Amino acid sequence: MEGSAVKPHLLLVLALLLAVPASAAGGIPGDADGDGVLTRTEYASAALAYLDAAYMNGAGDLDRDDIRDAAWVYARWDGKPREIVDSSGQTVTLYRPLRRVVTFSGESLETLRSLGFDMGKIVAVDKYSHEKRIFFPECRDKANVGSIWSPDMEKVISVRPDAVFLYATISTAACDDIQKRLEASSPGIRVLRFDCFKPATYAAEIRTIASIVDETERGEEFAAFYTSTMDRIRDGTADIPDDEKTRVYFEYWFDYTTVAASAGYNEKTELAGGLNPFAVGTAEYPVVDPEAIIVADPQVVVKLAGQGLAVGGYAGHDPEALDAIRSALIGRPGWTTVSAAKDHRIHVIHSDILGGAQHFIGTAYLAKWFYPDRFADLDPHAVHQRYLTEFQGIDFDLASEGTFVYP
Amino acid sequence: MLSVPANRLFCIVLLLLVVPAAASGAPVTRTLSTVEPGAGEAFTVSLSIDGIDLGGVVETLPAGYAFAGTDHPEDRIALRGQSIGFVVMNDTHITYSVTAPVSGSGDITGAWEDFLGETGGEVAASHVAVDGIETVAESAGERPPAQEAASPFAVLAAVAALLVVGWRGRR
Repeated sequence: MEGSAVKPHLLLVLALLLAVPASAAGGIPGDADGDGVLTRTEYASAALAYLDAAYMNGAGDLDRDDIRDAAWVYARWDGKPREIVDSSGQTVTLYRPLRRVVTFSGESLETLRSLGFDMGKIVAVDKYSHEKRIFFPECRDKANVGSIWSPDMEKVISVRPDAVFLYATISTAACDDIQKRLEASSPGIRVLRFDCFKPATYAAEIRTIASIVDETERGEEFAAFYTSTMDRIRDGTADIPDDEKTRVYFEYWFDYTTVAASAGYNEKTELAGGLNPFAVGTAEYPVVDPEAIIVADPQVVVKLAGQGLAVGGYAGHDPEALDAIRSALIGRPGWTTVSAAKDHRIHVIHSDILGGAQHFIGTAYLAKWFYPDRFADLDPHAVHQRYLTEFQGIDFDLASEGTFVYP
Repeated sequence: MLSVPANRLFCIVLLLLVVPAAASGAPVTRTLSTVEPGAGEAFTVSLSIDGIDLGGVVETLPAGYAFAGTDHPEDRIALRGQSIGFVVMNDTHITYSVTAPVSGSGDITGAWEDFLGETGGEVAASHVAVDGIETVAESAGERPPAQEAASPFAVLAAVAALLVVGWRGRR
């Protein structure tokens, strides 16, 4: 060994490292000169200061989380802060990785899980995710921060989050209010706004969130999986003239309530090549005249089950309940003349796979129902199972658990 | 030179002592050039590091033993009392030297952390004694868990050695 003797300047190094200041609020831990870049020398000094304090009875200020975050920034972000632009258009600068996360959006929570984010770092969730004991079993013991419309801000603050996820383009007033209150009470907090349920933006959101949690490879893999299904649907319906599109009556949870152009369910219906005769109008979920449905003579009827019609989904394996819903539709006055009823093309779908981050699964079912020949090779059931097993990482066998579509 | 039975015995004992350490999967292991240095003699301590990109190792020497130098970059070493801190940055080996006292025995102990992997643990203790002579104060202390875990293997080694000797004796 070419060992060097103990030199006096080793002691000087020790003295210098003890002078490394604690990470400035909002800065990279260990960035001693505060220039926004953690150099190799600064990182090494910070690591020495930590070891000295943690194991050698020294007096450094960096704690274990600080040095782990410094190592993360040094190794994975090249020593620099990471800037991202979220779906609300705001630029957020990250000086350290997310360690204590609160999600007010189940869709963001689900996307984080798809990306392999350590769910142990989720410290609190919204009440709806908290209630989903089967789909989010790991969240049952986490703090419940309520909803965006009725947030429990004391609970949020009590879990000391370093990042909070909110919606970007829906319920903006409620989310803006939460953001203002968070930033006023916790200046260093990162508020991140994403929707994670819109076909137009979800692929980009997957990649942005993957960048935030430094899971870019996983993000690419998941985005490719997602877009492969959505592109298959778009490509499969792109050449269908409007006058040849399948006429679809999409009924919301409540009887005779449909979806208009501004509703997300209409977007998915149209993506799948459906023509919604009730798309016009300003109301998102208009109530229609029962006679008008018969006059429109839809070729396919899709009935939504879910929160407002609580059967099936991840919570229960109950195909009989969905069958009963379908039978009730068929039995409506005058529906024996409707094409969809005559041709046995009335379907029930659960909002779990159409309304949130899993909309690509539900949209695949719609496409297959609207154009069985064009999508003969599309297997939404297989897409769904792969999503659950490979990306969500939950032990859920669709053959025997849950009910999402009928028939 | 060792006789054939003695060679066999030596190999068995060596295997039994080495295999548990290798199989334990510890990311940091320590080897010493000698565990019985002469009075005032310098000996080498080698740390083998596996799978830690960014982390640290802190070694603590027994009383009377002195850190005498290292090949590790100087800006990644800290000294305080009997402890030496090493910052690990993609290193797979760290070697340092220690000067033994005139007399005395004890354990070199260590701790490691993997900052990116967010894990940590102890480096199994290594016992040293000047000229192989135990001093009561140090050797009476409790051994760390890692060392305690090795004791069943030492018992196994002893049993194996007795069996081999017995088997050779009957032939």
